[in-house]
Amino acid sequence: MNAYPVSIVMIEDDEGHARLIERNIRRAGVNNLITSFRNGTDGLNYLLGADGSGQESASRSMLILLDLNLPDMTGVDILTKVKANRHTRRSPVIILTTTDDEREIKRCYDLGANVYITKPVNYESFANAIQQLGLFLSVMQVPTTD
Amino acid sequence: MPLFSSAFARRTVSLLFLGVLALLVIVAAAGWLSARTGAHTEEVIRARDLRMATGMIQTALLDAETGQRGYLLTGENRYLEPYTAALPAIREGLATLGRFYLQPDRPDERLVQLKTAIDGKLSELAETVDLAKTGRRDEALALVRTDRGKATMDRIRTILDGLIAEAEGRVSRRLADLDQASQLLLWVSGLGALLIVLFAGGAAWVVVQYTAQLVAARQELQLANASLEERVAERTTSLTRANEEIQRFAYIVSHDLRSPLVNIMGFTSELEVGAEVLKRYLEGDAMQADKAKVAAIEEIPEAIRFIRASTGRMDTLINAILKLSREGRRELNPEPIDLVKLFAATAASVQHQLDEADATLTVPDKAPIIVSDRLALEQVVGNVVDNAVKYLARDRPGRIAIAVNSSPGRIGIAISDNGRGIAEQDRERIFELFRRAGTQDRPGEGIGLAHVRALARRLGGDISVRSELGRGSTFQIDLPARLRPGESHSHSKVTT
Repeated sequence: MNAYPVSIVMIEDDEGHARLIERNIRRAGVNNLITSFRNGTDGLNYLLGADGSGQESASRSMLILLDLNLPDMTGVDILTKVKANRHTRRSPVIILTTTDDEREIKRCYDLGANVYITKPVNYESFANAIQQLGLFLSVMQVPTTD
Repeated sequence: MPLFSSAFARRTVSLLFLGVLALLVIVAAAGWLSARTGAHTEEVIRARDLRMATGMIQTALLDAETGQRGYLLTGENRYLEPYTAALPAIREGLATLGRFYLQPDRPDERLVQLKTAIDGKLSELAETVDLAKTGRRDEALALVRTDRGKATMDRIRTILDGLIAEAEGRVSRRLADLDQASQLLLWVSGLGALLIVLFAGGAAWVVVQYTAQLVAARQELQLANASLEERVAERTTSLTRANEEIQRFAYIVSHDLRSPLVNIMGFTSELEVGAEVLKRYLEGDAMQADKAKVAAIEEIPEAIRFIRASTGRMDTLINAILKLSREGRRELNPEPIDLVKLFAATAASVQHQLDEADATLTVPDKAPIIVSDRLALEQVVGNVVDNAVKYLARDRPGRIAIAVNSSPGRIGIAISDNGRGIAEQDRERIFELFRRAGTQDRPGEGIGLAHVRALARRLGGDISVRSELGRGSTFQIDLPARLRPGESHSHSKVTT
């Protein structure tokens, strides 16, 4: 484990989805701090700070769970900004979305997304995917920029 | 129009045929007339020869008589010379006359008489000369005095005069005929030339007309081609746009309908988990007491709340889609609309909100009449004005203005505000279904502008936005000045 515990930043507009994701992560035995945001503006404010410099994230060790369809902006906008900022670009980004559009998946990987998960309507597989993600989170190393 | 019209061919060919016919007639007439002229000339020459022969006979007879008289007076042979010289000339003259007149089928009475008279005269002359030669001059003179010779001579003169008169008559008649024939030739040639000029001119006129028609037809064809290409390009663009819209729509609908479904399925499973815990507790598993409490008080009601919210959300989405679909199918009724009145009505409907927000809305007092669908136009303008009022900046008094700018055939309505503005990356997104921009502090479904754009496109126009984040936005609605019935753009219809 790192000197700084990894915190999970979740940007997900659907409250129900956020709740289900959180429950399943916890079920997998992951107890890291989860910070939730309901829209892109608030999420970006947290990640990059009000001035957009990202200085606040310099000492954070984060994993970002990102929904692509947000009411105020697209997740792709957030992904682009996160991967362009020197303080946040090393933070793993996991895309969680309902669309399985080939071009969109490719685009996200091109922009630097680490994992792309489609939210299936079938809850079993959804819960399974999230729990495995939790296992993955428990072993991964996330660097900081310091 | 066919490339080579058979009517044109018929007309040209018949005109050319008539021209050729006229030429043939002229040639035939000229040939006939020149043949006639030749015949006339021959006749004139014959008449002249006849006249000459007659004259020769007369002169020779007079010579012969002079010789006879001289010889009778003097008795010298010297004076007899004219007589002897005249005799062959008389015979030659008679022969010539005979050639003209002695036709076997129609012997001329006068020629026979002339011949008899000349024979008589010659025999009288020969008799007197013979008498004088033999020295019987008195007898010869007596013979002369019998006036037999004179009488014969007079008869000959009468006949010859008649012949001469006839020959001269013939010459003048033939000359008149010649004159007439050449006049006729002149007329025929003139008329023929005129006809040829007319036919050639007619043919040329037909050709010129036909060429002009061809040129006009070609120009029309080129125009049609050009506009066809334009129309194909237009249709292709609008089809491409329609296709993209449908894809985008399907994508959005599938995503947005899937989200609540994920919730419903998820929380249904959570309900099952909670129910299982409760069941085990009720079956007497005391270990489950705390878990059962959490499940009954927190988890199960939470799951039910989420399921209810998600079904409500789905219902809202489906209703929004149905509304768009109905709008797409509604029959448009173009009618003249006074924009000033329409703006005034819109302003009145938002007056309450304006007062609450301490904002003003200015509308133009002059605007052109637009022919469009009233309900659709009211919805377009109303939605944009509603948005302007809804998203005013809080730190300054709101100023909303409607302006009209028209160009030939088009009318533009610009609705500008000094509100919070729209970030660059959101300026297209706001027109998509279920999408919103900026801080989410106002209620809304993200349907209004999608609906406005679909309506504007159905009205044959479009809507676009210029904005500066934090300063304000201007929505520009561009519409045709005259919406033709049936012109509505079917691609903006939402098919469900």
